Amino acid sequence: MKKETKNYLVSLSCAVLLALLIGAVIMLITGHNPLEGYGALFTGALGTPRGIGNTLYKAAQLCITGLATAVAAQAGIFNVGGEGQMFLGALAACWVGASLNGQSPWLVIPLCLAVAAATGAFYAWIPAVMKVKMGISEVITTILMNTIAIKFCTYMANGPLKTTERGVNQGTASLDKLFRFDKLIPGSNLTETIFYIAVLTFLVWYLMTRTTAGFEMKLTGQNPRFAKFSGIRAERLAIIGMLISGALCGLLGMFECFGLQTRFKADFSNEFYFDGMLVAMIMRYKPVGIILMSLFFGVLKIGGITMQSRTGISSELILIVQSIIIFFMAAEDGVMQRLRLRRAARGLVRSAGKDGEA
Amino acid sequence: MEKGETMVSFRHVSMQFPGVLANDDVSLDIRQGEVFALVGENGAGKSTLMNILYGMNKPTGGEVYIKGQKMTEFSPKAAIARGVGMVHQHFMLVPSFTVAQNIMLNNEPRRGIFYDFKAANDTVNRLVAEYGLQVRPEDRVEDISVGLQQRVEILKTLHRGADVLILDEPTAVLTPQETEELFAVIRRIVAERHMTIIIITHKLYEVMEISDRVGVMRQGKLVGVRNTAEVNERILASMMVGKEVLLDALERVDDHDETVAIEVENLQVRDSRGLMAVNGLSLRVQRGEVLGIAGIEGNGQSELIEAITGMRPIHGGTVKIQGHDIRGLSPGQIRALGLAHVPEDRLSTGVSAKADITDNLIVGKEKRPEFSLKRVHMKRRSIRRYAEEIFRKFDIRGAGVDTLTGDLSGGNMQKVVVAREFSFDTPVLIISQPTRGVDIGAMDFIHQQIIAKRNASCAILLVSADLDELYRLSDRMVTIYEGRITGEFLPDSIEKTEISYYMTGGGSRKEAAR
Repeated sequence: MKKETKNYLVSLSCAVLLALLIGAVIMLITGHNPLEGYGALFTGALGTPRGIGNTLYKAAQLCITGLATAVAAQAGIFNVGGEGQMFLGALAACWVGASLNGQSPWLVIPLCLAVAAATGAFYAWIPAVMKVKMGISEVITTILMNTIAIKFCTYMANGPLKTTERGVNQGTASLDKLFRFDKLIPGSNLTETIFYIAVLTFLVWYLMTRTTAGFEMKLTGQNPRFAKFSGIRAERLAIIGMLISGALCGLLGMFECFGLQTRFKADFSNEFYFDGMLVAMIMRYKPVGIILMSLFFGVLKIGGITMQSRTGISSELILIVQSIIIFFMAAEDGVMQRLRLRRAARGLVRSAGKDGEA
Repeated sequence: MEKGETMVSFRHVSMQFPGVLANDDVSLDIRQGEVFALVGENGAGKSTLMNILYGMNKPTGGEVYIKGQKMTEFSPKAAIARGVGMVHQHFMLVPSFTVAQNIMLNNEPRRGIFYDFKAANDTVNRLVAEYGLQVRPEDRVEDISVGLQQRVEILKTLHRGADVLILDEPTAVLTPQETEELFAVIRRIVAERHMTIIIITHKLYEVMEISDRVGVMRQGKLVGVRNTAEVNERILASMMVGKEVLLDALERVDDHDETVAIEVENLQVRDSRGLMAVNGLSLRVQRGEVLGIAGIEGNGQSELIEAITGMRPIHGGTVKIQGHDIRGLSPGQIRALGLAHVPEDRLSTGVSAKADITDNLIVGKEKRPEFSLKRVHMKRRSIRRYAEEIFRKFDIRGAGVDTLTGDLSGGNMQKVVVAREFSFDTPVLIISQPTRGVDIGAMDFIHQQIIAKRNASCAILLVSADLDELYRLSDRMVTIYEGRITGEFLPDSIEKTEISYYMTGGGSRKEAAR
């Protein structure tokens, strides 16, 4: 393992442990037993099939959105617009799917997958081209385009595409039972989509770390001038990175709606994308790190709910722990440098002392 | 204070950076009224030592005394208060301000709440008269030459009351003539004002010319201090590198096949501001020869090279590489015609500092069958084996091929660039500033590689700000001035002073007459 990676993992473990420790202190102060609290948290997340299912579901969500951020970032574009791409992908797939109710799922599901991916990718392509051809900051355009997409989808779900079924708030017509992704563990949110997500995760990991395209994207992100100088078609790769990012978001939108929701609902996402973006940023856009961190955050999120119900410790504590990890990792660069300097200075004094003795 | 008294005293000063001991137990006294030259290879610790004196770095060990007083606070402010001034390699001036505004920065004369331009100009004129450094206070800094900008920097420090002046590689950006003028200024302020001057430099003949004493640094240690009168360049060079360097053992094999590989015809290129930086320039390079371009920076060399390599659009004229017109082609397409390129700025263009050495060595070759399956799946083992082989062959010094390129010294980073570009084995090489900021050992190595390429019948276009380098490597030389070629010479038939005359435009009329 590279020294850099090793140092980073050490820092990350320290940050996680410290955050858990601070969480424990808070439990103590508020009159709870930290062992009990964390016990409930981990058994809640991993102790029952239902817990494991929910944890995996949450982790998969974070993983895909995290990788979507990372794949664009690797090529030098910061996609903040995943939420919008996800909404449009979900709506398009649901609309196509519901209009084909009754047809063979072997036809409809692949078609919907393609529609979701293409819609998400298209919506990411717009800001990518604006960035590459005109130099317009993608951060601003993607944030603004989120609002447009979400409002548009909400309008569609409340208006033109609103279902006629009763009792369904801001949703489109329900999907044929055969099209839906079934639950794998009764009572949990885990659906068959986890298999699709596993495949996608592998593909993105492979693309980013093992292919010439991933390599060229990485160099483009690190130093676009150098990439151009070396004959890499940097602009094209930046656009491809965004297309993949948008496609992943669109697919996740479809998975959510074809799985848990059984239709497009305007409130299906609780800003999923931004949680994943955070994971990607903490892990500096490294795919393996994102996968692991997604699992850990999944455990915290799901276990937190059990913790609250079983011990009365507010699940807000989990947010505090997460925030502390993010805070530490953001400070990591500066802290590490200072530590290195101090260690170096101490080493110097020691060697000077030895010289003195001799 | 009497002449000859100790002005600055370093006592066992050490400076530890992460992974690098930049100064190792340095003890040195610098006296009032002397010109002290500090020489050493790149990364020898000269700049670090002077940055400590100027308060930019706090030493991790030892003490520094200025005029007998121990320095307790390390900041430029504290150093300036004690009379230490420093002119950095990269000037710290505001381009859109006038000369006077820059000199009076942080010390502005006011009338009421308004800036008092007249008082500022008067003060500067007084300084000019006092020190004999000619500048015009009302000129904008962005409009004046680099040599004048340097004067402004010096005046700024003098205005702040400096009596110890540190000059960090002051001649790196100057023409030979400007260097002469700078030295005249140094001599005058030392003779008349008893200033103490510390000059950091790479160039040994300048040490011989200007300094009273010279300190040589190597790998963070001060290896010796000598009276300049008692040494010569050869002795200094061997102190710097620890072994005798023979800088004149380049073997040339003359076997011109006379095919023209680079053909530039009446080229016009605009710079980033839209001005015509290259204006009607023509040149030809045959295989098996090195054509050196001599010129003062900013006369269109960078734009010429960028146009030839596809990094900048061609406005007019033609460029042919191996007979192919390159207009409209991307850098990648031009490379495919058989061109490799060592760029002038390695950090911004030549490497990705955030990637490791392996990545930087393999770029551009990643789709070759030996390194990827079907141009997609990277063969990591053979890539690593290849990187390690190149790493050894080009004598790159770092912990290994996993080292981040940004952590390498300038010389080693340049070796990474040269290693990658030269191992494309292309018939055409475009090389800009191959040894800028590189130590003598690495420089000699790179020179040998360039000549080896020439002997293997590469066509090489070389741009360098270092005349010695051009003389050593070129088969033919041309001078460039304001985007045009002003003369063509054979290196052994022309004096450096004559060349510098052409570089400053002196020859353009003659050229027209020829």
